[in-house]
Amino acid sequence: MKKLLLIPLLINIAFASVVDDYLNSLKQEVLKENPSFTSFDAQRGEKIFTTNHIGKKGKEISCTSCHTTNLNNSGENTFTGKVIEPLSPKANPSRFTDIKEIEKWMKRNFNDVYNREGTALEKGDVTTYIINK
Amino acid sequence: MKKLILILSAFSSLMFAQDVAPVNNQLYTKECGSCHFAYQAGLLPANAWNKMMKNLDMHFETDASLEDEDLQTLVKYLNDNSAEKNMQYKRSNKIVSSIKAGQIPDSISTTPYMIKKHKDIRKDLITQNEVKGIFNCMACHTTANKGIYGKKDIVIPNFGRWKD
Repeated sequence: MKKLLLIPLLINIAFASVVDDYLNSLKQEVLKENPSFTSFDAQRGEKIFTTNHIGKKGKEISCTSCHTTNLNNSGENTFTGKVIEPLSPKANPSRFTDIKEIEKWMKRNFNDVYNREGTALEKGDVTTYIINK
Repeated sequence: MKKLILILSAFSSLMFAQDVAPVNNQLYTKECGSCHFAYQAGLLPANAWNKMMKNLDMHFETDASLEDEDLQTLVKYLNDNSAEKNMQYKRSNKIVSSIKAGQIPDSISTTPYMIKKHKDIRKDLITQNEVKGIFNCMACHTTANKGIYGKKDIVIPNFGRWKD
């Protein structure tokens, strides 16, 4: 039983350290450009996540096109119909626990929605928005 | 003679249990299957897979790029299990045989065999939201994930079983 209780705790610790390390390294990057930078902002992140842009296909798209506006629910790949598990770590504890996965999807999804890669500031803001949703 | 028939029938049932060899690589299922159906490697020849895997940052107009190590693992898997190396499987065989010499298809759906097999289906049944396109095997081929594409397992949404 004790062991069972340990599992969610360990996932939580893994999540906290991975996402903290990720945000920290982004912060160091932002500080190089802007020495007076203080912290990432969930509200700026929300705007990044919910606004429409001309994406890689040359058509209007936003992050919510696939992930929906409720990050605790599943979404659906708007092109293929494939189900996407919830993005919020609160609903889906495996989210933001693997740095390789985080970086892979940030690169792909900024390219798909913004037709360019995200800046360190944008990636930090949108991560802050998602993990607090 | 009896033995020979027994061996032959056992062999042929082994050979044709599936139309294509099922996917048996975890990384492939995870990486390719996160955005779409994890198509069996035996649905395209190696040269077509290689053409596709060279441009993953522009994969059907989306970014599907991978870290180099994972990319190399998947390219090797696709090459080891591609259609022309699986000619004992009916669909792999038919797909390869349908491609004209010198042609390298851009997708499974645009191979001559796939075009021919889907040409009699009403367009609106293919474009409807439950299907979206020919690329969505599982929408109608209910056993596609097992490598089985036969008629008896086809159920088209808002249409029903396929009979021809």
